[in-house]
Amino acid sequence: MAGKRHVILGSGTAGLNAIRTLRQLGDDGPIVLVSAEAPYSRMVLPYYLARRITEPHVTTATGRQLDEWGVERQIGRRAEGLDTQAAKLRLDNGEDVAYDDLLIATGSSALRPPIPGAEHARCFNFWTLDDAKGVSKTISPDAHVVMVGAGFISFTILNGILERAGRLTIVEVAPRILPRMIDDAGAALVTDWLIERGVTIRAGAEITRIAEQGQGLRLTFAEGDSIDADLVLMATGIRPNLGWLDGSGIETNQGILVDEYLRSNVDNVYAAGDVAEGRNRVTGAREVHAIEPTAMEHGRIAAANMAGKKIAYPGSLLMNIVSAAGLDMASFGSWDDDGAEVIAAQAPARRAYRKYLFRGGRMVGAILIESAGETWSGNDVGMLKGLVQSGVDLSAWKSHLAERPFEIKKPYLATGTTARLLPETIIGQPSPAM
Amino acid sequence: MKVLSISPERCTGCMRCELACAYMQSGAYQPAKSVIRVAPLEMHTSYAPFTCFQCDEGWCMTACPVDAIAISAVGAKIVSDDQCVGCKLCTIACPYGTIFYDEDTHKATKCDLCGGDPACVEACPTQAIEWVEGDAADWLGEFAARRAGTDLTGLAAVE
Ligand SMILES: Cc1cc2nc3c(=O)[nH]c(=O)nc-3n(C[C@H](O)[C@H](O)[C@H](O)COP(=O)(O)OP(=O)(O)OC[C@H]3O[C@@H](n4cnc5c(N)ncnc54)[C@H](O)[C@@H]3O)c2cc1C
Repeated sequence: MAGKRHVILGSGTAGLNAIRTLRQLGDDGPIVLVSAEAPYSRMVLPYYLARRITEPHVTTATGRQLDEWGVERQIGRRAEGLDTQAAKLRLDNGEDVAYDDLLIATGSSALRPPIPGAEHARCFNFWTLDDAKGVSKTISPDAHVVMVGAGFISFTILNGILERAGRLTIVEVAPRILPRMIDDAGAALVTDWLIERGVTIRAGAEITRIAEQGQGLRLTFAEGDSIDADLVLMATGIRPNLGWLDGSGIETNQGILVDEYLRSNVDNVYAAGDVAEGRNRVTGAREVHAIEPTAMEHGRIAAANMAGKKIAYPGSLLMNIVSAAGLDMASFGSWDDDGAEVIAAQAPARRAYRKYLFRGGRMVGAILIESAGETWSGNDVGMLKGLVQSGVDLSAWKSHLAERPFEIKKPYLATGTTARLLPETIIGQPSPAM
Repeated sequence: MKVLSISPERCTGCMRCELACAYMQSGAYQPAKSVIRVAPLEMHTSYAPFTCFQCDEGWCMTACPVDAIAISAVGAKIVSDDQCVGCKLCTIACPYGTIFYDEDTHKATKCDLCGGDPACVEACPTQAIEWVEGDAADWLGEFAARRAGTDLTGLAAVE
């Protein structure tokens, strides 16, 4: 008997991981991939901008690979509607695609701020391959680039801009940079570091107008003054792609609400990645975690369940790492938990900062900042992830960490974190080669 | 499958494993390039080497957005320098802290079991690191816990 007909919507991280996992688990049902874009990895686009890699390198599955997996495809097609009764997707060319089960992995889109002039051709988002190509073509060694928005995505492309442009100004409407990745103290450290390296940062500033000025653009602030730019990059937030689900009966909040099996309120409709609102591993609350590791884990768990295994997901762990001009910064879990007990410390000579957040004996979140030369002489980045992920009891070690905040290896080892972690796999079995 | 089995009570902290590893990884005797790291414990009176467990999940491998990490013939998760873009995602996905970023090459680096003939094993004069049939285990947990007493109470004494 042939397996179920799986329709995978979206060929990003979640969609592709789902396809691969279905085949790895021996599911031989037909797979139809419907996607607006060809398969590629958004998160490596910064390295394309920095010219570390060329365009083919961003591709995550070639036609050959998809053929090998036996994937029928409709690339360049957008889903426009869903009829869960009839179990059919409606495409933008009017065609219907029938499914036995469906995975919605449509990711998210970058928002354009509602600033007059923001639609100018020299204003770019940096979310799609087309965006990246546009920026790469337009940027020049003497260009002044203004980045609107100082969030994580801006920081992922910061090095590429510094390498390829003359000057960089960062404008952020919030009172400080990286408001959703690190705390105030960390942001202050990163701000100083960047200013020392010639980056101009203007936080707490709102742009009210963008207008053509000679060959470039003029950005006017709410305060009335202005700056000129050759190129403007907008990274002011993203939104899950779920507008096309209106009227489908699929329950959504910020994203599509999914249970521990990555299933929506409709039994044979799953959702994964940026578009899904699933369990936060640390808090248990349902949240959209628009990060790569969540998309990967969601995609694999959803596929395992579509393949008939009953695999529950413990939830996703918020995690980010980015380097800006030689300063590494990473954060994990509930690094902004106001109700948590906090241990924080700085080693100014190394520009190092640590913050550990506890609920009882459990580390629920952490921040690490360190100059890149230092970070990798230790094991701390991953060990912090392991401590937050495993939830080991660190009660006996809190005073040690307060005294020696840069010594996390001992508590990590002595609490048997390794033993807790070794049996854990995402889909309940060792991962085969990718 | 063979694994790197670690017996911390035999480690003298001589660091030869780090040097041998650094040489295998980079061709230079630069401990910073080593992917086995000797941890000082018990107020720096005991030591224990710590490196990749080649874990079942392969957190680094499954996290990699461009499939730059594969499984070698001897069961090591290995980074392909041609594929790695240096995004560091593997370093936050690995919950053991055993995959690193090399500032010189802009690539991730980790234990590759030296293709089946681990240099750290050969370099260790006290057989604290052995290459044996078996499963990965928490080699250091109990040892570190036993010695933790000094670390936890010793603080007051030094301060
Ligand atoms: C520049 C940049 C840097 C990043 N860096 C990091 C990082 O360092 N770490 C990290 O964790 N995350 C990073 N991210 C975020 C990460 O890329 C995303 O979280 C991840 O791609 C989400 O995967 P996904 O499968 O949910 O969505 P996506 O990868 O966005 O894939 C969505 C897919 O759905 C398709 N699609 C959308 N709508 C429709 C429709 N209606 N019909 C058909 N197809 C549709 C799209 O074409 C695409 O193929 C970065 C993102 C960017 C843009």
